[in-house]
Amino acid sequence: MPTTKTSWLNSYKTHQGNDEMYSLNDELKPYWDKLFKGFDKLGVNGLTARQKDIDWLLSENGVTYNVYNDPKGMHRPWSLNVVPFVLHQEEWNRVEAGLKQRAELLNLVLKDVYGERKLIKDGIVPYEVIYGHRGFLRQCSGMELNLEKFLSIYAADLCRGTDGRLWVVNDRTEAPSGMGYALENRSTSSRILPEMFAKMHVKRLSGFFQEFNQMLVGAAPGKKENPNIVILTPGSHNETYFEHAYMASFLGYPLVQGNDLVVRDGFLWMKSLQGLKQIDVVLRRVDDAFTDPLELREDSHLGVAGLLDVVRRKNVTVINPVGSGVIENPGLIPFMPTIAKYFLKEELLLPQIASWWCGQEKEKNYVLENLSKLVVKRIDRTNRESIYFGELMTLKEIEALKKVILERPYRFVAQEHINFSTAPNLTNGNVEPRNVVARAFCIASKDQYSVMPGGLVRVASDSETVRVSNQRGGTSKDLWILDETFTKEDKTRQWQQKSSVAISGLNDLPSLTAENLYWAGRYVGRTLVNARFLRTVMRQMAIVQNRDEKPDSEKLKVLFKAVTQLTGTYPGFIEKDKDGKLAMDNPYEEMLSVILDKKRVGSLAHTISMFSNSYYSIRNLWSSDMWRVFENIQKLWNSLVDSEDHSINRILKVLNQLITRLIAFMGLIEESIMVQQGLLLYFIGLQLEQSSLTITKCRALLTIKYDDQVEYELLEYLLTSHESLNIYRYSYRSHIELEHVLDLVVLDLDYARSLTFMINRLQKDISRLPHSKQDHQLSNYQKFVFEAFSKLRLAESSKLAKTKSETDFSREELDNLMKALSKLLYQTSQSISNTYFNHTDKQNQLFTQSFPI
Amino acid sequence: MIFNVTHITKYEYNAPVSYCHNIATLRPRESKGQELLDYTIQITPEPTEISERIDFFGNYITRFSIQTEHKILKVTTRSKIKRDYAKFQESFKSPTCKNITMNNALLALQGMDPEVLEAKQYILESIFIRRTDKDIREYAELSFKGNRSIFDAAYELMQRIYTDFDFDSEFSTISTPIEEVMKEKKGVCQDFAQIAIACIRSVGLPARYISGYIETLPPPGKVKLVGADASHAWFAIFIPGFGWVDFDPTNNMIPKDQHIVVGWGRDYYDVPPLKGVVYGSGQSKLKVSVDIAAVE
Repeated sequence: MPTTKTSWLNSYKTHQGNDEMYSLNDELKPYWDKLFKGFDKLGVNGLTARQKDIDWLLSENGVTYNVYNDPKGMHRPWSLNVVPFVLHQEEWNRVEAGLKQRAELLNLVLKDVYGERKLIKDGIVPYEVIYGHRGFLRQCSGMELNLEKFLSIYAADLCRGTDGRLWVVNDRTEAPSGMGYALENRSTSSRILPEMFAKMHVKRLSGFFQEFNQMLVGAAPGKKENPNIVILTPGSHNETYFEHAYMASFLGYPLVQGNDLVVRDGFLWMKSLQGLKQIDVVLRRVDDAFTDPLELREDSHLGVAGLLDVVRRKNVTVINPVGSGVIENPGLIPFMPTIAKYFLKEELLLPQIASWWCGQEKEKNYVLENLSKLVVKRIDRTNRESIYFGELMTLKEIEALKKVILERPYRFVAQEHINFSTAPNLTNGNVEPRNVVARAFCIASKDQYSVMPGGLVRVASDSETVRVSNQRGGTSKDLWILDETFTKEDKTRQWQQKSSVAISGLNDLPSLTAENLYWAGRYVGRTLVNARFLRTVMRQMAIVQNRDEKPDSEKLKVLFKAVTQLTGTYPGFIEKDKDGKLAMDNPYEEMLSVILDKKRVGSLAHTISMFSNSYYSIRNLWSSDMWRVFENIQKLWNSLVDSEDHSINRILKVLNQLITRLIAFMGLIEESIMVQQGLLLYFIGLQLEQSSLTITKCRALLTIKYDDQVEYELLEYLLTSHESLNIYRYSYRSHIELEHVLDLVVLDLDYARSLTFMINRLQKDISRLPHSKQDHQLSNYQKFVFEAFSKLRLAESSKLAKTKSETDFSREELDNLMKALSKLLYQTSQSISNTYFNHTDKQNQLFTQSFPI
Repeated sequence: MIFNVTHITKYEYNAPVSYCHNIATLRPRESKGQELLDYTIQITPEPTEISERIDFFGNYITRFSIQTEHKILKVTTRSKIKRDYAKFQESFKSPTCKNITMNNALLALQGMDPEVLEAKQYILESIFIRRTDKDIREYAELSFKGNRSIFDAAYELMQRIYTDFDFDSEFSTISTPIEEVMKEKKGVCQDFAQIAIACIRSVGLPARYISGYIETLPPPGKVKLVGADASHAWFAIFIPGFGWVDFDPTNNMIPKDQHIVVGWGRDYYDVPPLKGVVYGSGQSKLKVSVDIAAVE
């Protein structure tokens, strides 16, 4: 067991005998020594504090990783260990050369399998390795592409074998993930360990990403100068959605989903606010089979019908090309040395994991005899669920696996089970060895490949685990390539000065993003207004002693009914439910349901979850402050929902905090998102929602005339829930009177919370939408808002406050006005939806069939 | 013989479709003993764009988009086909065809000559015909034996499917799994073809799916009804050294001139007559009519 001078490593036990820090003859590698000497200055506390800073920064920036089939898995925080994985430039040079060679080889394989198929014809690769792989898409055969290199992005998982060399264990070619996380890890670690960065001469990543951007720009058909580029994501439920959003905002390209795009006239278009905008390059994170429901998986809603045809016509470039999943194929590994000789007359530079393809008799027999020592994979399913670890299987399971292999031997590959190297990891104040896998990235750069001087290192979750995968938990590391000399970042080469401007304004906003912003505005408005009103009602309930009793006061009944009307949780307090129960008999129970029942449409909990969803889907527009406050709101709310204590006081306390945080959040939105990015849509949604709810509230509380005392209190509640009581007192310095209340809450042109003010603002905002007209005839939604505004301007509070006669209870004129306004706002919303985010025309199959490809 | 084939496919939607993208495999390909003399395709409403290409299997694929709002989509193809296949019947009795045993065939399939390589892909699993279960393999092994002629075995398999399975147009849809068809022993022509293919592949031999038409002859003395003919499907087996031989398990016969080939692939998935993605919300009703008239 090696020991060292640095106190860190005194208790460091590399029980597997293969550790990154030590050379084959157990000497501490000098650059690791340098790293830990650097850590010496920080001490245990210092380093632990830096780790905490990292954790904080990551959660601050909302870096997440979604785990499928795990209820707690959505938006799980990303984790990065403070101890980096370090490699010396000298070793990296060799790895780099090997990666470039491998990328080129796989590129040639890809071209060949969709072209002449000489590898098969000349007996280099058995036909089953290609034809028997589900990723071989016959629809893509013979396609010509705009690309010099078919394989534009290539990622390889590297591990250090017992011979001390880095081996390739996996190839990723379909839609390789991790580049964005690598970048995020770098930006975090360089902020947290700046002094180490300078001292260790860590190679910078920015040049690589500049090339990446150039690669996308250069991929445009006809070498267009300012191509339109989009990033296609499966959506916010995808495991690496964070990365899609991160790359989109880093590169400055719109993040779109399948329904944002459409094929017409042989071209690909993005539905934007203005209309259709032609797209030249798609960087896709949707898997091959899902990219085109017309020709590929018909049950896919993630792709665009007709996309393959546009590619065939060379009117769009998809990166990586559809069909590249076929070379994500461990069945190719045993043949790679021959392929290298065949295409390049070279030896394979990087060692690869020993693999036996079961399609060959001798290999199959070897595998069947040695199953308990091997790791078995499908050639076309390399995800964790389809990997069998012989070592961990019972005899019965092994026999079952044999049968499965024998059924279709060509579908299986077995690989050697090796203990790959460990690297030091800070765990609970100790440095401990953990198994690691490093993912390296290559991109096509003109006629050759470029390798990212860094990468994403994933770390096993505990010291017993040798399997490493993000899906299993575990953490990550930044990969530092250390140079002898300090390389200063070349600021003049900053890629940000790219010539291609992606989103040039509101016109090009993808309509799905616009719609999400609009709904974000509506939901945040609804949450705030409802929370305030519920707070007002709860306060009144707190004053009543027996909370379970039927309310005897008129005013409480009116308030409860208003709750139902405002939240739309019918029958609620209005009518008996289908079991004949009346909520009014037990108002506390009903109030709890309206507040906490997430499944009940209209409840506060439901509204908050809708609010969260709409925000999560536009998270590429967020600032880190927004993320923090957002997280805060979620935590606060979940703590209430999960807690036993649902007393009125507890709820009131949470509502207070919720309201404060919502207001902070709304303030942040206004300053973090630009109008061109769609903030306008957010405002339109917000104003529309707040206006509608004000109307509902006035209708519920004011259109019936009650006793003077009841009426007085209702007016006070209205003002309170509207946060306008102080303003009222300031403005009128008098007893609360309906006429004045109407003047302030409904008719005031200058008061920001008044209905007239909000509708006037709405009028101005919608006039800036791309299809609005400034002169001559107004567009439909403009007409509705204009009519609403005019109605309000023509109204007089003295008339609105009147009933028909002294004996009449109903304030008809007020009710009619509110009814008319309500209808106009509804029509406005419909018209805006139809004009700008018409997703009702979703893609449907002529025949509905569902089967996997 | 020369035939005029009119194939009409009509979709009626209950809500307007704003536009659609479609793929049709309707133009008959050249094949052994078959020549295409004339072909037209007519689509209403008029497509905005239409193009044709040859797919991986050598079939003609027509792709079109319609961008005008419509409630009815009608695709009419008219093909004039010269069919002269019956003359090959004699060759099936030749030793190069009939004397190839399963053992011979499996050995020959180890080879690398282009014809064998091309055929071998039809041994592997395909979209609709996935890993075959024990039932299918056992059913196949009743006919396919090491020392037996694979032509004879395929012929017997066809006969057995014809006898054991009931034609039932209500039972299955395109997505009914073959295991279920095998269990219930009923279905339509494409089910029978796919059952046979699954059986042949389960013993390691290549088999492909053929989509086409069949001329139905009226009972003696009756007049033939227009539109009574049908889309049809059958299978072919590859006999190394000889080539592909077609079998029609629905009619228990080796196709002659009444069978007209449109295209082939690994299974139905590769050659659906018409498929598409529509933008709109409604349901659709499908009507297909095929009319085959012998010209001479």
